[in-house]
Amino acid sequence: MSRWADLIYELAKKNLRTRYSSLPSAIFWMFLFPFLTVGIFYAVFSVVLKVRIDETPFVLYLMTSVFTWQFFHDSVMASVTSLVDNKNLLRESNFPHYLVPISIIFTNMIIFLPSLAVTIFVSAFMLKGLPAAVIFLPFVFAIHLGMVTGLSVIFSILYVKWRDIKHILEACLTILFYLTPTFYSVYLIKKSFSPVLYDFYINNPFVGMLSLYRSVLLKGFYHAIKDEAGFSALLLAPFIFSAAVFFAGIYYYGKNRKVINDYLSY
Amino acid sequence: MIELNNAGKKYPVASSQDFWALKDVFLDIKSGEATGIIGRNGAGKTTLLNLIAGVLSPSEGGVSVKGKALGLFNLGIGFQDELTGRQNIFLNGTILGASRNEIENKFEAIAEFSELGDFIDMPLGSYSQGMRLRLGFSVIANLDFDILVIDEVLAVGDILFQSKCFERLMDFKRAGKTLVVTNQSVDLIERICDKAVLLEHGRAVFYGNVREAADKYRELLNKERFYAGPPKNRAVPLVENTKKWADDISSWGMKLGSKEAVIDSVVFIDKFGFRRDGIKSGDPLRIRVNFTAKNDIKEPHFGVAIFRKDGVYCYGPNTEFDGYHIKEIKPGRKTLELTYRRVLLAPGEYRFSVAIWDKKEALAFDYHDGYYELAVGGVNGTGELLRMPFKIKDRFGGIKRCRPDLGSLRDRWGKKTESDGIRIGPVKLSGKDGEEKNIFLTNEPAELSVSFKELKARKKDTYLWAGIYREDGVYCQGMTADIGGGDKIRIFFPEFRLLPGGYRISVGLWDDFSKRFLMSHHGVYDFKMAWNRLDHGTVYMDHKWKTEV
Repeated sequence: MSRWADLIYELAKKNLRTRYSSLPSAIFWMFLFPFLTVGIFYAVFSVVLKVRIDETPFVLYLMTSVFTWQFFHDSVMASVTSLVDNKNLLRESNFPHYLVPISIIFTNMIIFLPSLAVTIFVSAFMLKGLPAAVIFLPFVFAIHLGMVTGLSVIFSILYVKWRDIKHILEACLTILFYLTPTFYSVYLIKKSFSPVLYDFYINNPFVGMLSLYRSVLLKGFYHAIKDEAGFSALLLAPFIFSAAVFFAGIYYYGKNRKVINDYLSY
Repeated sequence: MIELNNAGKKYPVASSQDFWALKDVFLDIKSGEATGIIGRNGAGKTTLLNLIAGVLSPSEGGVSVKGKALGLFNLGIGFQDELTGRQNIFLNGTILGASRNEIENKFEAIAEFSELGDFIDMPLGSYSQGMRLRLGFSVIANLDFDILVIDEVLAVGDILFQSKCFERLMDFKRAGKTLVVTNQSVDLIERICDKAVLLEHGRAVFYGNVREAADKYRELLNKERFYAGPPKNRAVPLVENTKKWADDISSWGMKLGSKEAVIDSVVFIDKFGFRRDGIKSGDPLRIRVNFTAKNDIKEPHFGVAIFRKDGVYCYGPNTEFDGYHIKEIKPGRKTLELTYRRVLLAPGEYRFSVAIWDKKEALAFDYHDGYYELAVGGVNGTGELLRMPFKIKDRFGGIKRCRPDLGSLRDRWGKKTESDGIRIGPVKLSGKDGEEKNIFLTNEPAELSVSFKELKARKKDTYLWAGIYREDGVYCQGMTADIGGGDKIRIFFPEFRLLPGGYRISVGLWDDFSKRFLMSHHGVYDFKMAWNRLDHGTVYMDHKWKTEV
């Protein structure tokens, strides 16, 4: 077990070292992108389009959504092709295949976790304190990680058999991005959607996931949305989805473990 | 330890058309046994190894492996060019199933075994292929495992590396590890393994004693060859290139090999029968190799290679190339003699490698790499390599040698400098019937003719120079001739001795008074050499082998 942890660590180190020339440049470029996205969104939506959010300051609203989304998106998209990309490695050794996508998630965590820490600081500073629920952040993160890992493993195996899955996934993730309240408020949706449609919308586990992050990171956010998103939407949907996807990943890997290398050999 | 019970593997997995790469295989390999897997290409060797190493799973039947199995399908799996040797050791090691802790403890041993020195902290991109292989094998050689599964890997790298791999495998075997090996060389398998599986079309047709398996395999191959018809019906392709450089001159002076036969001494003998360490260009030379066979050696072959001291491969005949087959050598002290009728090398210092090989040149019994030195006496101011005999036709005397160092003019290739004094016209190569061509067979006659026009009065001390270069820029030989009266110079080689490869010709007008070229066409003309037999080096030198075995 520990040698697998060592392997994940070495693979993640390889990912970083082959992508960036040095450690300082790695840190610079990795952090530049999420913060740049927040900056652009802020400029476009707050300064130019004058979008207003009542729940919380707009910068914090954006930071929580952009960081969590980027961790999810980058991990899954990089994982999809990972088994095929590393087929020379996998065809000649017998470690479990899922360590490859996991090492990619691990690499992305190196950016995500510090970004989350920055968000906590900014939140504490701008809202003059943190909600008490911040102690549940590890659990929230665990739910998130379960989703990411499960989906990454499942899609990486699917891609081995079916190369079109990458493009389908890319399209789905783009739609999903706009279906989550990244830069708009759920109030807007409630106002313009029919109640049935809104129920579908709010029970989307990705919407719940983002609201959950905001609830534990931003003071006063939970009180602002508790009428729009109930317990089931906020906690139950993400948790059930995460657990389902995670165990589906384990099951799917177990079912395909013996044939992945056969597919990789062609 | 390793048990295959009616194991089979089907390709492709998802198709209805079944192709069984492996079918009905029963194996029972006990702990500490070395097992070879032999068979032709496509017989299922690699599939079987994949099943044992756990990389593939059987489509039917069972495979049970107890202990930690290490599959070696490629040296240096996961190697990244961007990472240093050190970082790659950790990456490669963890992929092969070691923990970081284990690698840290063994790092010194791995680095030392690889003999990479300071290169260990350089990016892998700067490594030569040989260095990569060395690094890859060093990791394997120091890791912990119970079962090692090796696919063909030992057939790569230089002789130094191969013998080191072989030694290490024998160490593993002595240490009681289980080995499963495939290799194209059945001799190598016979040497390493106790038992062997003979695969044919995915089925194990024999499993047992390695010698019996090897015999059955040879029988199988020969039967096939017999039905395919005699080989002389096939057109023999011409050899178009030879080995032109020494592998690694930094390893000169080393003695390698398994020492089943040992070279005791090598003596150079001149035309009068005296021992010498220097001879004159054009003289005969006899090389006597005294050696001792420790064991009974089957089908060995001998090689003697000559290199210039900068690593240029001059000539390297061996008994196998020359069709001189030695069946067997009984234990005892023996001698072997190689006689050159004429040494066609230009004056300079040369190094000799002497080796006793096994049949396939896969393993050296003894290999003295660049170990012996010989000086060819005389003046060589131009850096030329060869002194092939030639005649200047239609001219008397005037054969002088150019003084400038012409060995390193490659950067001027393809350049023409002109002067108003003289124009050099067409430069032609032709065969013995005068027909122009630019591909020659080694040892056939050749004539180089250079036409020129004198526009002004001829200067004194002016010569026409023609130089033959190897395609890689090594200056082979220069010919000079007095241009007095006439408009054509023909240089005739009764036997054009160059070995297969590409060559270039330069011509120029050398003013010996002012020591410069009045005009030159450098490397503008090219020709090729080919031959119907394989040889190493640059020049063929007539020779004879003599053994008392």
